[in-house]
Amino acid sequence: MLLADFGTSYCKFLDLGVEGAKPYLIATKKLQKNLRVDLATGHNGKRFSDSYVNELTALARGGEELIKAPDYVLLDCGSRDIKYVSYKGGELDDMGWNSECGASMGFTIELLERYYDLDFHSLAVPDRTFSVTCGVLGMSHIFDAVTSGISEAEAVARFVKGIAINAYRFAGSPETIYLSGGMCDNPLFVGSFPCRVITLGRYALIKGLEITARKHLPKHHERTKNTE
Amino acid sequence: MKVENGNMVNTLKQQKKSEYTIKPGDKVGIVGVPPLSVISKLSETGAVIFDLDEPRVKADMELTSNYLPRVYCAILRTVVLNALHLELDAVFIDVGPGKCDCAFHVSTVLQDMLNIPIIRTRNEDKKGFGYPLCRTKMSLFEKMQQITKGVQNPFPSSPDSPPCTPTAGFWGVPPRDFSLLNLFPCTTHIYGWTRCMENKTPADTDLEAVFNPHVPTIFFAQSFCAKTALAKFLAAKHPKGLYLDVDVTCSSSTGAKIQAFLELNGVPHAPC
Repeated sequence: MLLADFGTSYCKFLDLGVEGAKPYLIATKKLQKNLRVDLATGHNGKRFSDSYVNELTALARGGEELIKAPDYVLLDCGSRDIKYVSYKGGELDDMGWNSECGASMGFTIELLERYYDLDFHSLAVPDRTFSVTCGVLGMSHIFDAVTSGISEAEAVARFVKGIAINAYRFAGSPETIYLSGGMCDNPLFVGSFPCRVITLGRYALIKGLEITARKHLPKHHERTKNTE
Repeated sequence: MKVENGNMVNTLKQQKKSEYTIKPGDKVGIVGVPPLSVISKLSETGAVIFDLDEPRVKADMELTSNYLPRVYCAILRTVVLNALHLELDAVFIDVGPGKCDCAFHVSTVLQDMLNIPIIRTRNEDKKGFGYPLCRTKMSLFEKMQQITKGVQNPFPSSPDSPPCTPTAGFWGVPPRDFSLLNLFPCTTHIYGWTRCMENKTPADTDLEAVFNPHVPTIFFAQSFCAKTALAKFLAAKHPKGLYLDVDVTCSSSTGAKIQAFLELNGVPHAPC
């Protein structure tokens, strides 16, 4: 049974039919158009599967499996949007999905890294930040800063910090954030949060799909899919 | 108002439009829930009622931006859009505690915009008609349609609507975009202002604040509506409550939020 999280920039896969298989990553632009999977999530997921789990459900189920604390906030920062689930006493307490004002945060950060030829692993977290509400609207801050004599690297770092602070507030300003999604691999972004951050990597939603497949799908679904 | 030669001049056409006698066949728009006496009179006279809170014309919402800010309650923007396109003979707009201050200001806009009587009402009716539809087993979409349709007549809802055991709750006003209601199971009970609507007591703030703590409940308000504060407040009080606000249409992420909330709380989407 092939599971996939179809993201804007990268897609994550896990084959439950292979014992001990690990999840893996493929760039979205390299996907074959006729690809079909058994169970999908992610905003492109419905194009590639007849069985779809929405991203918040997948994130929540992934969090329930990966996080042992009863109270937590799990924030997923991807290319296109940000979303979170918060749990209290082991039960779902709140959730949010921001695909408008949180639009294109990760995508914009990746574009900036390439355009300005930067390495986020070598950039220090700046003291100052920009007030950024979304990737697109925040760009002008960078151009204005560079025009005023601030280095491109410093301007982009302030922008990234602004995005991290915005995401932190969106998630309810918790003391600790469990962070998932591609932005976990960006040390500048992770270090810019004004709270403790525990990174879970890119595969939280895939873990949620795995839980859905193992615990929540009707048996006939599994049988049907396995015989195809 | 504007200042002309140092004197205040009333530019509104309010005075000349305030008197109106209902005639059979008149096309009358209503906003909110006008008092029962008004609805009874319209009904007895044979006026044709148009609920302007609901989308009634296929036209671009952007057309309202000459009259209202873009960042404004989508229901009231819909009122203006409807009023621009429907050839009405009069509008009864409720502006009392059963509606909102925004409606009061929109009544001023309508008075200036249209050359017909715009009659402000304050519905403080106290007699409850009951709310069987809010508690019966029926698709939430259909329930909401029947409740909003019920505003146009002076009668109680059908008594043939037995209550069901709720599995979920929808608290709030009828949304601008009814499509989000399809995400709820048929055993969803309705609370909040919609319940007050069916009860024909839109200013009953005690009834409006009622919720069922035993069923997962979405606390819904239109974005930029004053009721967002109450929705957020009550959602925080509810052990399984989720606050939700939507502007004009329900986005896919909003839909997913509702779906995930119900699913993760173990609410089955059973067929009706």
